[in-house]
Amino acid sequence: MTIDLVLFFGLALIAVVAAIAMIASRNAVYSALFLVFNFLTVATLYLLLNAAFIAVVQVTVYAGAIMVLFLFVIMLLGTERESIGGRIRWQMPLSIVLGLALAGELAYVLLRNDIVQGPLADLTVEFGSPASIGRVLFNEYLVPFEVTSILLLVAMIGAIVITRKQREEGK
Amino acid sequence: MDWQDFLSVLPFIIVAGWATILLLVDLWIPANRKGITAGLAVLGLIAAIAAVISRFGIEREAFDGMIIVDGFSSFLQLLFLGVGVIAIAQAYDYLRRRDIERGEYYILLLYSLSGMLLMASAGDLIVVFLAVELLSIPLYVLAAFAIPKADSEESALKYFLLGAFASGFLVYGIALVFGSTGTTALSGMVAAIESAETTPILLLVGSGMILVGLGFKVAAVPFHMWTPDVYQGAPTSVTSFMAVGAKAGGFAALLRIFISALPGAAVMWMPLTMWIAALTMAWGNIAAISQTNIKRMLAYSSIAHAGYIFMALPAAATPEVAPEAVRAALFYLVTYAITNLGAWGVVLAMEKAEGSGLEIEDYSGLGKKRPALALAMALFMLSLTGIPPTVGFMGKFYLFQVVIDANLIWLALVGVVTSLISAYYYLRVIVVMYMRDGEPEVRSEALLNSTIFITAFGTFFFGILPGFLLKMINQVSLLDLFR
Amino acid sequence: MVLLEVVQGGGLFAYAPLIIALPILGLITNIIFGRRLGERFAGIVASGVVALAFVIAILQFLALQAHPEGVTIPIAEWISVGSLSVSWAIKVDTLSTTMMLMVTGVSTLIHIYAIGYMHEDVRFQGDPGRYTRFFIFFNLFVAAMMVLVSADNYLMMFVGWEGVGLCSYLLIGFWYEKGEDGIGNAVAGKKAFITNRIGDFGFLIAMFLIFGAVGSLGFEEVFDWAHAFGEENVLIISVITLFMLLGVAGKSAQLPLFVWLPDAMAGPTPVSALIHAATMVTAGVYLIVRSNPLFSVTASTSNIVAIVGTATAFFAATIAVGQFDIKKVLAYSTISQLGFMVAAAGLGAYVAAIFHLINHAFFKALLFLASGSVIQGIEAGHHHAEHEGADIEEPFDPQDMRNMGGLRSRMKVTFWVYLIGALALSGFPPLAGFFSKDEILVDARLENPALFFLLLAAAFLTTFYMGRQVFLVFFGKARSEPAAHAKENPPVMWVPLVILGVLSVVSGALNLPKIHTLTDWLGTTIEHVHITEFSFSVAGLAVVFSIVAVVLAWMIYGRKPIEKGEADPLRKILGPIFVGMENKWWVDELYDFLFIRPYVAICWFLADVVDWRILHDWFHDSVLASAYRNGSQWLAQVFDLGIIDGIGNGLGNITKGASQRLRFVETGYVRNYALAILVGGLLTLTYFIFG
Repeated sequence: MTIDLVLFFGLALIAVVAAIAMIASRNAVYSALFLVFNFLTVATLYLLLNAAFIAVVQVTVYAGAIMVLFLFVIMLLGTERESIGGRIRWQMPLSIVLGLALAGELAYVLLRNDIVQGPLADLTVEFGSPASIGRVLFNEYLVPFEVTSILLLVAMIGAIVITRKQREEGK
Repeated sequence: MDWQDFLSVLPFIIVAGWATILLLVDLWIPANRKGITAGLAVLGLIAAIAAVISRFGIEREAFDGMIIVDGFSSFLQLLFLGVGVIAIAQAYDYLRRRDIERGEYYILLLYSLSGMLLMASAGDLIVVFLAVELLSIPLYVLAAFAIPKADSEESALKYFLLGAFASGFLVYGIALVFGSTGTTALSGMVAAIESAETTPILLLVGSGMILVGLGFKVAAVPFHMWTPDVYQGAPTSVTSFMAVGAKAGGFAALLRIFISALPGAAVMWMPLTMWIAALTMAWGNIAAISQTNIKRMLAYSSIAHAGYIFMALPAAATPEVAPEAVRAALFYLVTYAITNLGAWGVVLAMEKAEGSGLEIEDYSGLGKKRPALALAMALFMLSLTGIPPTVGFMGKFYLFQVVIDANLIWLALVGVVTSLISAYYYLRVIVVMYMRDGEPEVRSEALLNSTIFITAFGTFFFGILPGFLLKMINQVSLLDLFR
Repeated sequence: MVLLEVVQGGGLFAYAPLIIALPILGLITNIIFGRRLGERFAGIVASGVVALAFVIAILQFLALQAHPEGVTIPIAEWISVGSLSVSWAIKVDTLSTTMMLMVTGVSTLIHIYAIGYMHEDVRFQGDPGRYTRFFIFFNLFVAAMMVLVSADNYLMMFVGWEGVGLCSYLLIGFWYEKGEDGIGNAVAGKKAFITNRIGDFGFLIAMFLIFGAVGSLGFEEVFDWAHAFGEENVLIISVITLFMLLGVAGKSAQLPLFVWLPDAMAGPTPVSALIHAATMVTAGVYLIVRSNPLFSVTASTSNIVAIVGTATAFFAATIAVGQFDIKKVLAYSTISQLGFMVAAAGLGAYVAAIFHLINHAFFKALLFLASGSVIQGIEAGHHHAEHEGADIEEPFDPQDMRNMGGLRSRMKVTFWVYLIGALALSGFPPLAGFFSKDEILVDARLENPALFFLLLAAAFLTTFYMGRQVFLVFFGKARSEPAAHAKENPPVMWVPLVILGVLSVVSGALNLPKIHTLTDWLGTTIEHVHITEFSFSVAGLAVVFSIVAVVLAWMIYGRKPIEKGEADPLRKILGPIFVGMENKWWVDELYDFLFIRPYVAICWFLADVVDWRILHDWFHDSVLASAYRNGSQWLAQVFDLGIIDGIGNGLGNITKGASQRLRFVETGYVRNYALAILVGGLLTLTYFIFG
């Protein structure tokens, strides 16, 4: 058992626990903070994989920008302690069972030793550097990259369309 | 990457780019003249149609296999663009009537269409995923377009939440496939299955999750439950577009992935898709019977039709039948698009400003009040049932023939029996229109009427002379990824 | 010179599809603009497009001069299922072009006539709105007829066959609310349609058999097959041709299916002239001639065809003698003449059949149109007389020959053209009917003397009833006030009559003895042509018979014209035979007794007892419908809503107040739907992993 593996299992455990805590927490602010925590651990995992750039982006964009926005919204709306409707008694255990079953199945698949592994790419010194990522993004993955930009634009327009109408009605 | 690569995605560039330009142009169009935006949007679609036609028959891969141009994609793109034109024509008066007319409607519709265009020519799972999202996100917003009407809001939220849930399956499935094959390219999947002795289980699980994600988009049982609620709540013009466009988009990806990229694993997914097809046909048709609201009824009907198209998948598991199965599915999609657009057009004409007039009972007396409209509706209902001389019959005939060719007699039998069941609720609409007395309030709007006329004509014309369409489809084939 | 080159190069063939497209264009124009732009516009458009179609037909004719073998112009692939491949192609050869020329030519004249006739008709009948509709149907008819004659396979021919049948039905019932008991015309239309269905059934079966035997429906393939394998397949070909004969009997009004044609006279007179005399009813003859490679293989069917035709010719002629309605006489005469054509086709004299078909189209169209002119003249007189306050017996029948008389002086043009038509029909030399009828008689004498004498008798009767009609209508004194006030119609009506009159005089020249223009012309398409030499003995015999018949008619009706209210003198002479003729030998009553009543009784039994009481009341309502309803309710409500949502709803209702219920149901829905997706996904994965 190498140090890599030890680190991985430790971080993975933290990530999973943080994710569960995020869902289980009844306070929205806590949830958001657990999510930040989860993001940070995942960023560390990226570091372990030698992907420094992505790790940094994960921290700045997700844990930094987006989650701060989330917290703002939660606090501005004052909904941090709102109870989530009613619970349906049979649903909770059922969903837990089903979720576990799904996780179990996936674990079974991933842990079976006969899964065929794709060829691993040879890592260069350049790997994970902003320059190499940029090169891949604008060459090989140009189409997905551009489509993503359109997608984000559309999401933005959508948000504006939905909210603007409400404001007009409010007048 | 050269200029030819960009030519290959020209229809997509035109539609998405034109939508972005229109977004700016729309700012200068006064609020009561949004018809100009609609007209401009149609112009963009026509340009895209020209672009597709100009490269019809060409087969190539672009951007290192990210984009595939073949008969399949060109044909579907034509279908999508045609659907887009009709959807815009149907929306124009309806939006004015419901007082929700805003230029963004047409722009979002164009964006959604651009997603469909991309879907048709996607050659990589990442592109498939992005196309699904690009197709769906504008639809979520469009479904909410009648905000603050509660039903529209509810419909959009349901669609969005469940869509996100299904997307989770899809993207995780793609990740697993990548983990198994080391590539997201469809051609890479083919190679991976070829080279392995047994089909890698990770790939199977991944494709299973992709099936779930796309099954949601096409509303196949058991991923269908959102359909009636969403269809009912969304503004009807959106429903019309959603029922036809989104479904066809989902099938574009399903056919492409399963038939051209995963034929090696056909033994595995064949029984599963077979059961999904049978269940979907049965559930959709049987549940439709007890509906009293026409939008819900058509929603269940659209589920049922998804089942019919789904039959093409198990049929395509037999290699000799696969090309025909793809063609039959495409033909059925055209059938479905023409007929459904028409039927939803009639629903649009019957809907009153405040959203009533959607019960089947409200159609009483339509046969006397508006004979032409009632005749068109009767034609659509017959076509949905699959009775000659309508195009619906031709579609079912072709599809069942393919299924029988693949030796899935019992599946074809399920199809026939459920079609018989469906006659019960489709014909009920005709009975209500002609045999009950009533004073229905009907709109007569030039654009809407013309879309109904065109679709009714198509329903009838292709029902008698399918030759032209068949000839076009016979040239369609999936680009062989083995090369 | 350029024109000549085009003709020589066969480039004119490319215009052939227009011959169908033009009438369709006309009817679409009239559908859209007809009402708004008025009668004149509708009539001119309809006539114009048909006239243009006639020009196209002439162009085809010119092109065929250089390329007599003809061409097939593909238009669209129609059906392609398995081994059945049917394309829609237009076949231009000498036979189809002959039909095209005749149909479009006669149609043009009748369209023009109808502009005037229908103007008066819709005015008298009090519904000017139908004027446009009439021309729409008329153009549709021409288009369907063109599809029929230009088909290059049996299925396409069937499309045209059904199309003309539909138009016939629509036009017979044009005044659907008129006639006996207010539904007489509608019933006549229905009768025509149903009788034709029986014939169509025969045609369909013939088609199925052809496809079964040959594997194709294209004329060329079928005829090639008949050449190659005809000898060993005589039996199947006999069956095919017999079923075809059934179709022919329906469309061309032969025994035993002729009963619809006289009733079809309920339609406006131009319809009777165009559809029920000149063109549509000849489709059956065309079918036989077109299928001559099949018929010539099987001698037995050909014999039966000849016998059916001859029997019809004679039988219908006897009925014509006893009729009083001016159009009924002509209707039975049409049946009789069709019998001549069918007989000729059965005797193998295909050219003679087509020859007679063309001549008959001219003079019978002429006679019908002239009779329409007479009727309208009388109706105009009726109005006029009423206006003057004359005493007229009601109901007054303007078509009854007993109400006419003395019209010779009041309607001069009509009289002269009528006389020409009657003489041509009777076969007086050198008018059209003489040559074609003579050709048929010569062939009959060579082939089968018994049929020859029967045909000769029919020809004799033909002359007699035409003589009777002319004397009754035009000679003597007016037997009613309207007839006394009748007046000639406007030129738009009588000019076409004059043209048709001229054609009736000269069209015999198409196939003069010794020259045989038509025989040579059709010889490139029809395989089995033989030149029939003119026979003086036969011609002389026929002419003598005709003269005797005219003299006889004159002695009975001309020498001492019957007075108003007087009975037909023939009734005294022939006694019960005349009663039989007058009552059409009770064929309608026989059919009514044999088929219609038992059929209606069975229908009642099935509808009332089997369907309504057993199937509907019991099986459908109690068994099927309730099972359906329960099953679907169960799935949609118990299962979708009940088991999955219901549990949520139910629990929700207990735990939450009613105010929160809606919101709760909403969230419950989405969760439940998501749960369904999860279950589905889980099952999918389970299947893939462990399956």
